[in-house]
Amino acid sequence: MESCSPVQIDLTSRTSRAFGPLRGDAADAARSLIASARLAWAIEGNWAEPFFLLVYLIIRPLAFLGLFLAVLSIGGTLNPASIGFVVVGQAVFQIVGAAMQGPTHALLDDRERYRTIRYIFATPSSLLPVSIGRALVKALIAAISAVIVIGVGALIGMPMRAGGPDLPLLLVVMTLGLTSIVGLGIALGAVCVQLRNDAWGYPQAVAGSVFLLCGAIFPLDTLPRALQLIGAALPMTWWIEGVRRALLGTASPGLLGELSTPLLLLVLTVGTVLITLAAPRLFTIGIDRAREKGYLDRSTAS
Amino acid sequence: MSAAGVPKDLHARIYAETEWSLSHKLRHAAQSVVGRAYPRIFGMSREPSWLFFDLVFPTLGMCSFVFLLRSRGADEAWISATILASALLTFWTSVIWMMAGQFRWERDSGNMTLYITAPVGLGSIALGMAVGGAVGMAFRAGIIILGGSLLFGAQYEIREPLLLALTMLLGIAAMYALGVCLAAVFLVSGREADHLGDLLNEPMQLLGGLFAPVRSLGIFGLLAIGILPLAPAADAMRQLAVPQLAASGLLPVPVELGILAVMFVVFSLLSHFSLAFIERRGRADGKLLTRAD
Repeated sequence: MESCSPVQIDLTSRTSRAFGPLRGDAADAARSLIASARLAWAIEGNWAEPFFLLVYLIIRPLAFLGLFLAVLSIGGTLNPASIGFVVVGQAVFQIVGAAMQGPTHALLDDRERYRTIRYIFATPSSLLPVSIGRALVKALIAAISAVIVIGVGALIGMPMRAGGPDLPLLLVVMTLGLTSIVGLGIALGAVCVQLRNDAWGYPQAVAGSVFLLCGAIFPLDTLPRALQLIGAALPMTWWIEGVRRALLGTASPGLLGELSTPLLLLVLTVGTVLITLAAPRLFTIGIDRAREKGYLDRSTAS
Repeated sequence: MSAAGVPKDLHARIYAETEWSLSHKLRHAAQSVVGRAYPRIFGMSREPSWLFFDLVFPTLGMCSFVFLLRSRGADEAWISATILASALLTFWTSVIWMMAGQFRWERDSGNMTLYITAPVGLGSIALGMAVGGAVGMAFRAGIIILGGSLLFGAQYEIREPLLLALTMLLGIAAMYALGVCLAAVFLVSGREADHLGDLLNEPMQLLGGLFAPVRSLGIFGLLAIGILPLAPAADAMRQLAVPQLAASGLLPVPVELGILAVMFVVFSLLSHFSLAFIERRGRADGKLLTRAD
């Protein structure tokens, strides 16, 4: 019989990694993000033939747009400025809704539907880039719908900016806006994982509330004063306003429209920086707590 | 006892236990309906979060439309109509997710096996879901109308309350009958089902003339009023509860009531056959209880 010697396990290569949802170096995070984005595309993008997927991506946002334009026409003849206001707001909000719901739905899908979150957690992958990857793909798919809505808007008389869209402004506001909304989405995801009931519903409820408050389809001034203040505190309000200025070349009616574009960018930047600093920490705290309490293993059958 | 140990009267006993009289069948079906409706009606008292979410989504949508109308300086009568439409929307949402999507959800969560093995027809279960869903949603719709009226000062002038009640009853019955038909479609759908549910939401709100008159949709409005119960129900209710907007109606109320009655009968028959077909196909293919994902 051969003598047994103690097995030596070399832990030195991984000792720099903290165990938890945010670990590893930047290269690990990038790999996790790319893998999760590919997975998200497989889930979100290949459930139908490309033609039917495209039809789906066209019909729903256009119906939404049609609904708002039909209601808008009740108040009198539609003017191009009103069409532009609603079209851009509704188009951008497609992305807001998708990116905000993305991380929560990814976490809950993995926990309850596919029952894989425990395995993802056990791998060296970091859950944060995994969630961000899933959210970004949802946002990208929603962006296709947004482009279609804007294209249709242009066809039905939306007044575009003379000389074409202000691309630098568009790029800046889209980057800042998307960063802030994904940040809010992952923070929301970490909260929803703690919930026993109806965790799926909260992102939709939050997105619905944001839709009401951020001046997506009507000027912020229409809201009662207290709600106007809440709306002004949301980065989505400034994001949508920035996109309106970049695409339409005009500012929104009311108080928001009186602010200069540099000031708008400053507010959006400050909001995005604050969210970017806070969201990963909130996510880590939430996921660590969920792991300790055993919430990553449970199924709520909701 | 026979040589193999099988009782001689086995056939007779199986026949007696499975071939029920019509009254027995009806009593059993009624018990099944009540049994399935019960959790839908009383469940909300045990899960307040359900009530919260059932109310919050239509209320948020309602507020968005009301503020949009106010930003355009629309007639206040349209705000009353919007609140009414939001109440009707709670039923439609329930039809999509709690009727059409329900069997699929039950399958994925494992309950469908119990339904299939229980001595209860899928039709009775579906009817129980519909009755329970409609009663539960009526409570929510009442809260939305009350809350919306208090919040936005909406007013209604109901001259023919019985006709309005009949319109609501027929509209809800036709919608839920359509929901049972769709349940069969959702059950055979894979991952498409969630997206199908999404497609039945905003596009149907537009086609159904829920927040804006179906008349403004032209030929599409006429088409919708012939196939989508939401359209004649919303149009007729708007004419009856907000008479100032009667001119926006596409068809006279009695005609729309007739359409709803026909829809109820047609969708009920279709749902009966579609459920039977799906169950038969599912048993033959062995896929009825297979998770879509």
